[in-house]
Amino acid sequence: MSTLHSRASSGRLTGKDLINTGIYSAIYFVMIMALAMTGYIPVMMPLLCVIGPLVGGIPFMLFLTKVKKFGMILIMSAIMGIMMALTGMGFYALPVALVSGLIAELLWKRANYSRARSSVLVCGFFHIWLWGNFIPLFMNPEGYFATRAEFGADYEAALTALLPPVMNPVLLVCCFVFGVLGGLLGRAMLKKHFIKAGIA
Amino acid sequence: MGKGILQTSRQRRGLILDPRTKLLMLITVSAFVLGGLGGDRLPFLVPVLCLAVLALFLTAGKYRAAAIYLSVYAAANLAAVLLLPRLSGFFYFLLLGSVGIFSRVMPGVALGAYVVSTTTVSEFTAAMQRMHVSEKITIPMSVMFRFFPTVGEEFSAINAAMRMRGISFGGGSPGKMLEYRLVPLLTCSAKIGEELSAAALTRGLGGETRRTNICRIGFGMQDIAVIALCGGCFAAVGLSYLGVI
Repeated sequence: MSTLHSRASSGRLTGKDLINTGIYSAIYFVMIMALAMTGYIPVMMPLLCVIGPLVGGIPFMLFLTKVKKFGMILIMSAIMGIMMALTGMGFYALPVALVSGLIAELLWKRANYSRARSSVLVCGFFHIWLWGNFIPLFMNPEGYFATRAEFGADYEAALTALLPPVMNPVLLVCCFVFGVLGGLLGRAMLKKHFIKAGIA
Repeated sequence: MGKGILQTSRQRRGLILDPRTKLLMLITVSAFVLGGLGGDRLPFLVPVLCLAVLALFLTAGKYRAAAIYLSVYAAANLAAVLLLPRLSGFFYFLLLGSVGIFSRVMPGVALGAYVVSTTTVSEFTAAMQRMHVSEKITIPMSVMFRFFPTVGEEFSAINAAMRMRGISFGGGSPGKMLEYRLVPLLTCSAKIGEELSAAALTRGLGGETRRTNICRIGFGMQDIAVIALCGGCFAAVGLSYLGVI
């Protein structure tokens, strides 16, 4: 498999690469959405920056083993941003995802699409896109809470207590750190299962 | 390609909307119902859009989906009105969570299900081509929509197998529970993905030349009606911010 990849690595994205991107985006998105549904319980909302990257690291690390050309991570990030906009989570995720995806992409390119230590860092940078979903909470809290007003004052009070403005950079760092941890977890899974099964 | 999703055109599909119209409707519903664009000033827009989703299900001949959608939506709203004021503490949050998911997220998800189950792959690709979206986005997106139900199917099968072995949400460590579900899911998804890409490559996907498409899409009377509804919603918001309404 590795010789096949190195032969194809020079050049533009082929149909196979795009299809692979789509498949892993689908798996990744299903997991994130399943977790995001728990965000309606106030305590869980900031915790999404912890659990999301941790669980998402497993499919993402498997995806990275298929990435041998420039653009695949960026496309996956863009798709996540578009899907967030389409499902009404706000439009901030798309620009954040494009930037974080580009950083991850460049880092992975510098690592020659193979270095294991960098792949964990790439995983961390990629997951910063999740932070984009929280920006409206800090940018204009009034606007956000107006749309959630029917959830009641208790919900608002709980969220405001959990998400003071200080939390904004904390969540950003959280996404990155737990992205890295998720990457480590994903790598452990790769070693334990996927390489043996011959799919990594 | 697949069953139950992105169907073939041979089946009876009822009223057919242009994919671009469906996309507009999806944006409108997610902006108003989930995003709460109308806010407090235009509270009537949300029920109108939710009913429009119901109407779409009915025109597509999906009566069972329509019935489920209507009953869940009604139940969630009734629970919010009748039960919520009487509860407090933990149960309040729990009910709030489920009501929130069902009354706000479900219309968008239901519409998404409608869009995906009534659009063929050719229609989707043709619409994206007309909108001049790059192939680098359209191919992964169409694969993704094709793949969602596969992930669901595989997951429920794995879930059943794991329940039989006694690895469920009830007992055992959560890490194990996650590992025993995610790893088989990823393994079989990767295998299915390889088969899928082989099948797609055989049909010339990702070739050098520009792909042609014999699928005919275009706007009809039904599209104009839906577009008018969406446009009306956004116009109402604009007017309300200008202070007219």
